[in-house]
Amino acid sequence: MTKEQITARLKDKFGPELEIVENNQPEPYFYISMAKYYELCSYAKNDPQLDFDFLFQLGAVHYPDDRFEVALCLCSHEKNHKAVVKVRLDHDNPETVTISDIWKAANWFEREAMELFGIGFFGHPDPQPLLLYDDWDYGYPMRKGWTGPDFVPMPEK
Amino acid sequence: MGIIEKVPAYIERLPGGGIVTTSMDWVLNQSRASSLWYMLFGLACCAIEMMAAGASRYDFDRFGMIFRASPRQADLMFVAGTVTHKMSKRVKLLYEQMAEPSYVFAMGGCACNGGPFYYDCYSVLKGIDQVIPVDIYIPGCPPRPESLMEGCLKLQEKIKKEKMSDWASDRKEV
Ligand code: SF4
Repeated sequence: MTKEQITARLKDKFGPELEIVENNQPEPYFYISMAKYYELCSYAKNDPQLDFDFLFQLGAVHYPDDRFEVALCLCSHEKNHKAVVKVRLDHDNPETVTISDIWKAANWFEREAMELFGIGFFGHPDPQPLLLYDDWDYGYPMRKGWTGPDFVPMPEK
Repeated sequence: MGIIEKVPAYIERLPGGGIVTTSMDWVLNQSRASSLWYMLFGLACCAIEMMAAGASRYDFDRFGMIFRASPRQADLMFVAGTVTHKMSKRVKLLYEQMAEPSYVFAMGGCACNGGPFYYDCYSVLKGIDQVIPVDIYIPGCPPRPESLMEGCLKLQEKIKKEKMSDWASDRKEV
């Protein structure tokens, strides 16, 4: 499916909950509201025309203006198209639901986001640290403004 | 450690003992310096350059250097690459498993002081010398095999200056 067809199909289903980001990338970019996040994911996976059978990236982002977002990059091997789905999180309490029951690949990506950004994923089957060393006790290193032992910030130019 | 380590120091005090220890030193140092077997492990991109130096084009074998896959058989360790805090414990363990005398190269900016990951980084150790003693630092990102060889020649010079009577001082306590 082309970018326009994917956009139209999802817009039909989710209406105002879906916000389309205009850019000149070959894939469509959307923001989905938090309430419809899980529903959109399972629709994207199960709908025979969209058929997003592969999640190749789930990333968390902390923007300098203190917003958190989770971004998913979806791909369909069968239909050969891609899409990027983002969801905005509450900045005091960044939480969303897990999608690891839809795509198994999300399991480790969510653990990584949990550990490095402190984002909660409700219903995650195995919410344990994944990457940092065992006696890590210094918070969430990928958040803006984080400091820790022997952390040297980049000097101002 | 054992009494055997003190023997050269005692021999040296006997009349004419210096001749014995000096010739023994020469033999031991020559053999050590000409067969520096290095441990086969790499941590990041620098390891590719180390492999190039070990392969036929640059050919470490000219110096009698071949890789060993076990720290027990190695004299030399190239810390080739980015050492994260998580990895530093493992590197230290490998160093401790090497038999004496053991030598360490800090290869590349990352192993010398954190290199490209010095600023704004939560995970990379700022220099392998915080964990294990280093003999030779080779800067570069990555260093060319030529610099690695220069380092090996420098290490050979260093080994050739060693004395048996220094053994009694335990290097690993430094
Ligand atoms: S010094 Fe450069 S080449 Fe070597 S490991 Fe670090 S980043 Fe890689």
